[in-house]
Amino acid sequence: MSTEVKNAPALDAKRLVIRKMNKHYGTFHAVKDLDIEVEPGEFLVLLGPSGCGKSTALRMIAGLEEITSGEVIMGDRDVTHILPKYRDIAMVFQSYALYPHKTVAENIGFPLKVAGIPPEQREKSVHDAAAQVQMETLLERYPRELSGGQRQRVALARAIIRRPSAFLMDEPLSNLDAKLRGFMRAELKHMQHELGVTTIYVTHDQIEAMTLAHRVAIMRDGVLQQLGTPAEVYTNPANLFVAGFMGSPPMNFVEGGVNNDVLTFGDNKINLSAAPEGENVTLGFRPEDATVVKAGEGRFDAKVYTAEMTGDLTLVTMRLGKSMMTVKMPKDFMVDFDELVGIEFPSDLAYLFTTKDGARLSATVA
Amino acid sequence: MTDIPKHYQPTFFQRLFEPPTIGKMAVGTKVVVYTLLLIWSAFVLFPIYWLFITSFKTAADVNGGPYYLPFIDFMPSLHAWHELFIIDYEDTLRAYFNSIVISLAATGLAVLIGSMAAYALARVKYQPNLVTILLFILTMIGVLVAIGSYGVDWWLVTAVAVAVFFFLMKAISSRYQILLHNGDILFWMISQRILAPIVVVVPIYMMFQSVRLLDTHIAIILTYTVVNLPIVIWLMYDFFSSIPKDLEESAQLDGATMIMTFREVVLPLSRAGLAATTLLVMILCWNEYLLALFLSTAKAQTMPILVAAMNAGERGILWWSMSVVIIVMIIPVVFLAMVLQRYISKGVLLGAVKG
Repeated sequence: MSTEVKNAPALDAKRLVIRKMNKHYGTFHAVKDLDIEVEPGEFLVLLGPSGCGKSTALRMIAGLEEITSGEVIMGDRDVTHILPKYRDIAMVFQSYALYPHKTVAENIGFPLKVAGIPPEQREKSVHDAAAQVQMETLLERYPRELSGGQRQRVALARAIIRRPSAFLMDEPLSNLDAKLRGFMRAELKHMQHELGVTTIYVTHDQIEAMTLAHRVAIMRDGVLQQLGTPAEVYTNPANLFVAGFMGSPPMNFVEGGVNNDVLTFGDNKINLSAAPEGENVTLGFRPEDATVVKAGEGRFDAKVYTAEMTGDLTLVTMRLGKSMMTVKMPKDFMVDFDELVGIEFPSDLAYLFTTKDGARLSATVA
Repeated sequence: MTDIPKHYQPTFFQRLFEPPTIGKMAVGTKVVVYTLLLIWSAFVLFPIYWLFITSFKTAADVNGGPYYLPFIDFMPSLHAWHELFIIDYEDTLRAYFNSIVISLAATGLAVLIGSMAAYALARVKYQPNLVTILLFILTMIGVLVAIGSYGVDWWLVTAVAVAVFFFLMKAISSRYQILLHNGDILFWMISQRILAPIVVVVPIYMMFQSVRLLDTHIAIILTYTVVNLPIVIWLMYDFFSSIPKDLEESAQLDGATMIMTFREVVLPLSRAGLAATTLLVMILCWNEYLLALFLSTAKAQTMPILVAAMNAGERGILWWSMSVVIIVMIIPVVFLAMVLQRYISKGVLLGAVKG
């Protein structure tokens, strides 16, 4: 997988350590005992559904939100209880937060202006930073005269101009249209690699996480679920939530009871090995690992709900009882609505979880 | 699923009043709208015209009237202007000067203090305890009673009151908590304006009498400042709340101090709100009559008092002089509105956030 890019930290890149970080809003526990070490120059993505505490965590690292308990350490400095401006952090907001009454040049140069650097010296830096995001020809424009993608670039230029110890990015691409988002994603990854600055990036989009990150931290309800490289979290999910969150379309699940190492759901049976006796178990397999075969020839049968040609492949969605499952088939694959088909997948690419708490089981499909 | 009647072809009447495309006005609608607007304009502008010509009328023209057209119905005369600006110029100019000084100072103070309060309310989360506030009020009443009724030395009472207040606060407030929020504070401030000024005018009069400040600029300036604070806070709170918080957070992450953030980001973006608020408060101060009537007798008289005085002389109502004073009173407001209106335009925040 292409995300295994070698770390090339900048000389002054800082390690960012988050230790036992907690956030309470009254009785609501938004972030629970978050422990993450971000290596110098690493691109770490905080991934999770909305309301999982990832943005709160980022805002605590930035110093915009008070930390209830825990520590944030930048390099060798404990920054837990100091103001944002002393943390040497640059943040890119989801809204870009450009100053509407300032030109592009003034926006980019703002961090230098507040640092008291004289205008003559600022000018060169502004030009360099703008050139890095291909905005050097639009320096005199105002934010309202720019497109979404251009505003995004200005926000990036403002973040890089003073070479901060760390970048924090809060869903920076989510306001862009799909095509531009893909393009900016590549730009962002390239830029982070060039600059080698420690980066924490918050998103709910698992594709952004997979493509950008050196490591992904998946959160749910304020709790870190799994921390690992994109390949690890994809091929070796720690629990049911991670398995279901990563991948597009997501992993398929069937749920049933286990008796004598046989998983029963509806009229279907699948043999397992070393499965917990008498418990409810969820079996998962990814759309790209399975194939649609003739009825009766697969592990179980299901009725075709719909088939969608996406161009490079056909997504076949089938219904079994109440659950839907999707299988990726070649683009020339043909099925009819309501046709009864079989689903086949290799036993080593099936995942088993307890239904109760979603914990990954060491049991396998026989 | 229900079938509803479908119309595919507009009737003649619908064509007349329904625009061909959304966002345009149909011919019939246009006629109706502009007719109504013209009638309204005449209704609004006629009194000003009448004021203007009355200022050039003699007593005979006014009493023999109504005369509508100068040079045709009656011969304009400058006698009222002459009387107010050549003969009695001292009274007129003093009132004019008083009005200007008082309005400018009171507006400046109200906008300065009010916008700071509004910014704090819009950005800082307050949670005062109602129990503590009530304790404070009770202690204050105790202090007043002790000084007023029993003649205890003020410094002794104050010292005791501070001690008692802190003791009660520790003992009671921590146990009984009725927390208020920013919205409550804001409403409390606005509620000050619900009270009719006539209710408080006597206490205010007595207060300034006891400190010997009646008929001074200071008394009127302070009163106007306090009276207009709720309006400033209310308007500016709305305005500051509409500035995206991201902008200030971004500035702070970029290394700006609170003051720099306010000066570089908040202030430029709230220019429109400040202009509108200033204009409104200025007009309220400029036109205020009731409080000025009580607080001024001669030296600190403002223009509205002068206008009313035209009504009270032994010569009857001096319509012509009154018109002159009203006209010179209107001019600065119109001028101010023209200066400030270019700041009161929307769209300043466009492009700050989102695409």
